[in-house]
Amino acid sequence: MALDPGSFRDPDSRVYLADDGVYRLLSERGRDDWLALRDAPVFAAATAGGTLVATEAVERSAVPGLDGEPAAAILRHERVPFVSYPYEWTFGMLRDAALLQLDLLARALEDGLILKDSSPYNVQWRGAAPVFIDVGSFERLRPGEPWVGYRQFCMLFLYPLMLTAYRGVPFQPWLRGSLEGIAPADAARLLARRDRLRRGVMTNVVLHAKLERRYAAVQGREVKRELRGAGFGAELVKANVRKMRKLVERLRWEPGDTAWTAYGEDDGYAAADRDAKAAFVRAAAARRPRRLAWDLGANDGDYARIAADAGCETVLAMDADHPTVELLHRALKRDGERRIVPLVVDVCDPSPGLGWRGRERAPLLDRGRPDLVLCLALVHHLAITRNVPLADVVAWLHALGGELVVEFPGREDPMVQRLLAAKNDDAHTDYELDAFERALGEAFEIRRREALPSGARVLFEATPR
Amino acid sequence: MAAIFAYLDAGSGSMIVQLVLGGFAAVAVSIKLWWRRLLRFLRIRPAEPAEQEASPTAGD
Repeated sequence: MALDPGSFRDPDSRVYLADDGVYRLLSERGRDDWLALRDAPVFAAATAGGTLVATEAVERSAVPGLDGEPAAAILRHERVPFVSYPYEWTFGMLRDAALLQLDLLARALEDGLILKDSSPYNVQWRGAAPVFIDVGSFERLRPGEPWVGYRQFCMLFLYPLMLTAYRGVPFQPWLRGSLEGIAPADAARLLARRDRLRRGVMTNVVLHAKLERRYAAVQGREVKRELRGAGFGAELVKANVRKMRKLVERLRWEPGDTAWTAYGEDDGYAAADRDAKAAFVRAAAARRPRRLAWDLGANDGDYARIAADAGCETVLAMDADHPTVELLHRALKRDGERRIVPLVVDVCDPSPGLGWRGRERAPLLDRGRPDLVLCLALVHHLAITRNVPLADVVAWLHALGGELVVEFPGREDPMVQRLLAAKNDDAHTDYELDAFERALGEAFEIRRREALPSGARVLFEATPR
Repeated sequence: MAAIFAYLDAGSGSMIVQLVLGGFAAVAVSIKLWWRRLLRFLRIRPAEPAEQEASPTAGD
């Protein structure tokens, strides 16, 4: 049993991770807030609807390894299949998480509760569906209290979404660059002057930044008292949350075409190759039940779907191209898909450890190792475009720890030809099937090998040695 | 009492924006805040004790 390194900000509610589940240790105030939530209609409705993580109170004696940890009450939560972070989500995912946050908040306000923060880190995914995991965020609403999480909502949800919707700038590097999000003053500078005419910018960004500067020296407690005196109350918070919801709902971003969004239609595969590859992946994925599969360079998610259909409980469909993953998220959402989680991940630059002591947000690899790795139509991009030595590609695949399905496109493959054409003639002379197969054979036991009908690509199914 | 219980700083400016968003008379509140600071600056009114609203055990 160990304290989740990402759970220290709220002293009333601390998360402990144990082998058999996720536990939340509450202070006395935290317990009273929990009891208020437990009896509120929002709790039953959101839990039944799957938008709030399943939660039960447990006795201290039922929790192993708790020792002398102080706790007025202990909750046990259902574990989400894989913890991902907002800098790995698409625009549509961040927007859906924002809407979930606002919907829960609006519903909680009806029951005399409020969410004490507004962090997208409190949202996780069951496939394409968002789940709110921080039951400790709910607290009893105090009369005259403003929406304390408003500033955080702006910094971690609204401004990143606006940056992408209004400026076409991907938000992920900004959120990865700062766990606190984008400050109001920075958001005001990032948006163009003409953006001030757009919905929500003048108030939530420009005025917000100005007032923050102006009232920097004024104590929050003093402002709260004045707000109470001026008649600020739950009705006003409700109205502001409603307005924010309308604003977020209207934020749109169209991905547009990139080199990757149409890859599935124009990827140089003959239909015969595609069928053979699908059959190969299906056979490998169906070999035994698997908890977690990673599809690296997932593109339109065809093979992630095959893996899920073949019995993989959860498949992470990762791709570095934000527009491609956004389109995949939309498709998965349309299908009501609950097994495949799309993520924006560049395997050459995966999420590192971030935050306090570099441990508050864990590196991608520490959040759950895959049982099965699909690495299809990717090796040539890593080796040629990104200059990763072939042996290192294999070493990395081995380090992931799972069984492997990997595709090697040979030099005569049209896509490989295209990638090589961008380089000097003497570059990547070591990019050869023999060299790859040798390196693969040293790190893995190759169980199956199949050349695709076109002859230019070979598939391997392998188990790490 | 609320301020010392909230683990998240709501931000003074951020709270006042909420008044504006709610269509409230933010001007009146900001004038009052400004007026208090003026009185304090002129030493007509004493500065706020820091833990005025803390619980009795806060200093334990």
